[in-house]
Amino acid sequence: MITQILNGLVYGGLLYILSVGLVLIFGLRRVVNFAHGSLFMIGAYIGYSVTARAGFLPGLVSAVVVMAAFGVLLDVGVFRPLQRHDPLLTVLVTFGILMVLEDVARSVWGKDYITVAVPAGLDGNASLFGVAFPIYRLMVIALSLLTVSVLAIWLKRSAIGLYVRASSADPLVTAMQGVNTDRVSAMVVAIGAGLAGMSGVIAAPLMALSPSMGSYILVDCFIVVVVGGLGSFVGAFVAAMFIGQIHNFGIVYLPWAASSIPFVIMIAVLIWRPTGLSGKAAT
Amino acid sequence: MTTTRLRGPHAGPWGPIPAAAFLALLSGLVGIGLPFVITAPTAMTLMTQGTINAILATSVGYLIRQSGFVSFGQASFFGLGAYVTALLIKSAALPFAVAVLLGVLLPTLFGFLISLVIVRVSGVAFSMLTLAVAQVFYEIVVKWRDLAGGDDGLSVTLPATFIGIPSSVFQTPTTMFAICWITLTLILFLMYCLSRSRFGMLCSAIRDNEERARFIGYGTLLPRAVIFAISSASGAIGGVLFCLYNGFVSPDILHWTMSGAALVMAIVGGAEFVVGPALGALVYLGVKDALGNITEHWQAIVGIALIIVTVGWPTGIAGLFNTLWKRVRAARPA
Amino acid sequence: MSQIALRGVGLTRRYGGFTALRGVDLSVPAGEIRGLIGPNGAGKSTLIDVLSGRAAHWSGQVFVGDTDVSRHSVQKRRRSGLARSFQRTSIFPSLTVRHQLELAAQSGADVDEVLLQLNLDAMQQVYAAELSYGDQRRLDLALALIGRPRVLLLDEPAAGLTVQESLTLARLLRDLVKNWGITVLIVEHDMEVVFSICDRITVLNLGELLVEGTADEVRTSPKVISAYLGRSAA
Repeated sequence: MITQILNGLVYGGLLYILSVGLVLIFGLRRVVNFAHGSLFMIGAYIGYSVTARAGFLPGLVSAVVVMAAFGVLLDVGVFRPLQRHDPLLTVLVTFGILMVLEDVARSVWGKDYITVAVPAGLDGNASLFGVAFPIYRLMVIALSLLTVSVLAIWLKRSAIGLYVRASSADPLVTAMQGVNTDRVSAMVVAIGAGLAGMSGVIAAPLMALSPSMGSYILVDCFIVVVVGGLGSFVGAFVAAMFIGQIHNFGIVYLPWAASSIPFVIMIAVLIWRPTGLSGKAAT
Repeated sequence: MTTTRLRGPHAGPWGPIPAAAFLALLSGLVGIGLPFVITAPTAMTLMTQGTINAILATSVGYLIRQSGFVSFGQASFFGLGAYVTALLIKSAALPFAVAVLLGVLLPTLFGFLISLVIVRVSGVAFSMLTLAVAQVFYEIVVKWRDLAGGDDGLSVTLPATFIGIPSSVFQTPTTMFAICWITLTLILFLMYCLSRSRFGMLCSAIRDNEERARFIGYGTLLPRAVIFAISSASGAIGGVLFCLYNGFVSPDILHWTMSGAALVMAIVGGAEFVVGPALGALVYLGVKDALGNITEHWQAIVGIALIIVTVGWPTGIAGLFNTLWKRVRAARPA
Repeated sequence: MSQIALRGVGLTRRYGGFTALRGVDLSVPAGEIRGLIGPNGAGKSTLIDVLSGRAAHWSGQVFVGDTDVSRHSVQKRRRSGLARSFQRTSIFPSLTVRHQLELAAQSGADVDEVLLQLNLDAMQQVYAAELSYGDQRRLDLALALIGRPRVLLLDEPAAGLTVQESLTLARLLRDLVKNWGITVLIVEHDMEVVFSICDRITVLNLGELLVEGTADEVRTSPKVISAYLGRSAA
């Protein structure tokens, strides 16, 4: 039981780190990045390749850096030019990018599943509440909590954080305040993409690598973001934790329906509250 | 007002309904006549598959055109149509014709019910949800081995006759092509007529400006749900035909990549026009067949094509023809 | 049959810790053209939003005639005879002028008359996206006027129009609503328009009712003057 809950926290934490990127990008550019899962996937593969040659930490860092750089490219090349147009154009373009990236992954790493070992030093179990629980998974939980805290502090205290919050509430007025929208956006999107890459590397030992792993988790990520309320960090956190637990209990107790449960929850929430838990209006 | 041309028909070169009826008739004749002209069986097989895909692409494009919603999950209804038909035939509990009918009706009903929930969210959230729905369906079918055969799929032997007609017509490329093509023509014609009706106008208005539609006195939930149901019905019809033709169904027809491909066909073909998505499907299959031997990177090519059309030429292939047609007419002496 | 066509009782709206309206009471007799003015942030648009059903998180009651429409949806209010226009033009770009008016009309007869009265008949086959700004403003208005609603809420109908266009529109409006017996509540910044067509004027400030009276009473009211002068520094 405790193991179940802890595993739920692991998955929920992963989902949250990934969803934060999506929420950041949405808050700033008012677009949903359909390629977000692909960033997760490519990050995981890069992490895997670099780790094999140079160790886990370099693998993690390079994945984050490369994905962050890619995020800047995305912002400059896609989000910014399409800013004034229908957000669905960005959806379609990022969907196209998703297809291209999956093809790239297939070409470079092959389409077969690759299992990744837990990095040395983090393998082994710790004793928690009387049960043995993998240290690596504890690290994932810790990392997600760290992300929550750092994000919360950053949003509340820093100038850019203020900007992100203001922009999430009212992008037009914020842009009019004379802040260099484009430069800050590029940075924030880079952070979102970097986080996606990071969650990919971290997730790799927990799930097998495959070119389709991005789309797989993207779906849960979408459910988290829509249920939490598009644009809300708090909502995303609550939803991610919730979905994480449901996902895990589902796998253990109702394996054939496990993936359907988050979906049913989502339908239930949306019937009750079409704008998601946080109640913020999406455009 | 947004600057997109992604959705919203202004006016095509297509005249009013009698002209459309004439075109539909012509198209029907093509459907019957083509198999006599193209005799190579592989070509016919490809055309039949292309037409079935065109029906799915049309369902996706119709949703975009009439409601402005982009769905990444319409293959769910295609797949449901196929699976429901397959399972009902296998169970032999109901007559063949009823199985086929339910194969269309049940997914439509399901689409209608689910749309009542998901059309309430914003356009982008809607797209996200359709991806989620598609994935969930796929997972259910894959995991439910006892019922649906899981990854291996289900093979189906058709009963001997379908309301008196030998059911071999469904599995012979020449006759099946005619059946599918005529079905596609009928679907397109009905969609066209509906879009020019008062209801169609209301849907266009809701798509343009949902808020103002309410402020002039119309509820917006039901019309959107009806459009979604029609789109689901169209997808389901495609699925039923798929099942009848192939005698085999497998989970990949439910996978979101199937929906994604249909979406690309619709956009590249030109969702703004009734015939655009169908055109896109035929082009897609043609190019895929041609390039399939040369490259393994078909998915990347499709992705790039989607990007190029979305930002460069949003009205798609049909839009290209439309523009050329207008230029030709303008150049003609009065 | 009530003589009061539009009534708001205790209208309050609070969101995010900010109170936009504080217990505003409003009563507009049938056939009157009532102006609604006030400095920026006074709550005028909010009041229109609350009355028309567009706002969430509000309390109080709204009556159209004797009917309590407080719980009615937007579309139900419209069918009870409460229509509104929009400050930011809100029309249907991909429909022709005629088609969208036909859609808005519950019966066909009205359309020709509205087209004529609002000088839109020459462009009835034009797609709304292709109209000039001024024509689009009039179309926005036409969509509200069609079907001769009992009560018409106008949110800055002259927004973005030139002085001449505004006055023409104002006169046109005045004649039309008086002929058709429509009760009007009009939010406007353009004082010329307000003073030229309104029978009475309600002044809001900081979400509260400040003064209500005829054009002269309002123009000379010390409270109104200080409210505008006091705010103009902000």
